[in-house]
Amino acid sequence: MKIEILGTGCPKCKLLEANTRKALEETGKKAEVIKVTEINKIIKYDIISTPAIVIDGKVKAYGRIPEVKEIKKWL
Amino acid sequence: MEKKEWTILLIILAVFSLFFFLPYNSEWFNTSIISGLNLLNDYAKQHVLTCLVPALFIAGAITVFIKQNKVLKYLGAGAKKYVAYILASVSGIILAVCSCTILPLFAGIRKRGAGLGPAITFLFSGPAINIAAIFLTISVLGYEIGLARITASILISILVGVTMALIFREKIEKGEFFMQEDKKLKVSNKVIIIFFAFMIGILIVNGLQINKTLKYGLMIAFALATIILVMIKFGKELRDKWLNETWGFSKTILPLLFVGVFVAGFIMPLIPESIIVNLVGQNTILGNLIASIFGAFMYFSTLTEIPIVQALITKGMASGPALALLLAGPSLSLPSMLVIRKLLGTGKTLIYIGLVIIFSSMAGLIFGSIV
Repeated sequence: MKIEILGTGCPKCKLLEANTRKALEETGKKAEVIKVTEINKIIKYDIISTPAIVIDGKVKAYGRIPEVKEIKKWL
Repeated sequence: MEKKEWTILLIILAVFSLFFFLPYNSEWFNTSIISGLNLLNDYAKQHVLTCLVPALFIAGAITVFIKQNKVLKYLGAGAKKYVAYILASVSGIILAVCSCTILPLFAGIRKRGAGLGPAITFLFSGPAINIAAIFLTISVLGYEIGLARITASILISILVGVTMALIFREKIEKGEFFMQEDKKLKVSNKVIIIFFAFMIGILIVNGLQINKTLKYGLMIAFALATIILVMIKFGKELRDKWLNETWGFSKTILPLLFVGVFVAGFIMPLIPESIIVNLVGQNTILGNLIASIFGAFMYFSTLTEIPIVQALITKGMASGPALALLLAGPSLSLPSMLVIRKLLGTGKTLIYIGLVIIFSSMAGLIFGSIV
């Protein structure tokens, strides 16, 4: 599984990454977590608001920080 | 030793040598320190509780309650141009965007949405007009310049956007914004409107020039009404969300603002009055140009442009150039120019910077001649 965290490096993006890692830990699933910070790459996902979480190429949420509980459902 | 340990050692050494070499005994230094503390004291007493704190709560509420998707739809590819411009020009208030989300939004609106013009409008006005900036300007610098700042920001953002769109005709790539479903709020629209009205009431009363007891009484009444409304009508989840967003804003804005206020107070006695009076003391074309060029290149962290302008005004800056600086300041800085250049290319960036400087100077000139 490939998880991408889109964001230019603001505190919110870090929080999203932390939540994602926690969700992975709690479910025991393995995934590659990649941070995408290049703005030109970020807009390729057709999102306009960061932070965003993309799992296996599909945008799951953007513009907000999903909670650990919510992320677990997507894994 | 690891790299991290070396960094810590270097920081300790830097702090140590700072204290070692501080010119404690010189008069200018002591005056400056006192002046910095004075300004901090002034902000703490007059602006933080009555203006900044309510504004931060409102900003937090905006991120929770305003449905971003509904707003962004009007900035999408199918949107009417004039609607897109108007919406982009006030989006700073509606979306309560933090500086890190401005560039993705800008790039999105330009490539997949309403195009270069509205994107530029958004890029200029997004950082310039947020609730906190408007009300802190009014609280610190007064009503006239505060209202002039918001009106001019909206107008200039549209003018710059339209001009850019006329000069550069860009094709919009095909594609729609990816829309996620908004979660339904458990609160009725009526309650939300009353909730916002109570909070904005605090800020408006703060700006009124009325009897102090009446003023603080009214403000406390509004604050209590807000709290009671939230306790009765909002569930725990919603309340926590609101407080979390507010805390997020406070954490990023307040520490830097306090540093900015202290720095502004510290340099105040050091700025030679004659230079300020000579350069920007009068409402001339040159004075306004100097102020807006300085504002465009200088980096201000959120809201710190306000104490800086306050310091310059006490040193003799005229009201026109002060407005010009407030207009060109928050939207542009040397670091942001470099980032914008990566997205837009050198030519468009230069024209954008030029337009911002020219329109800000013009606004300053007009404001200076009216007041």
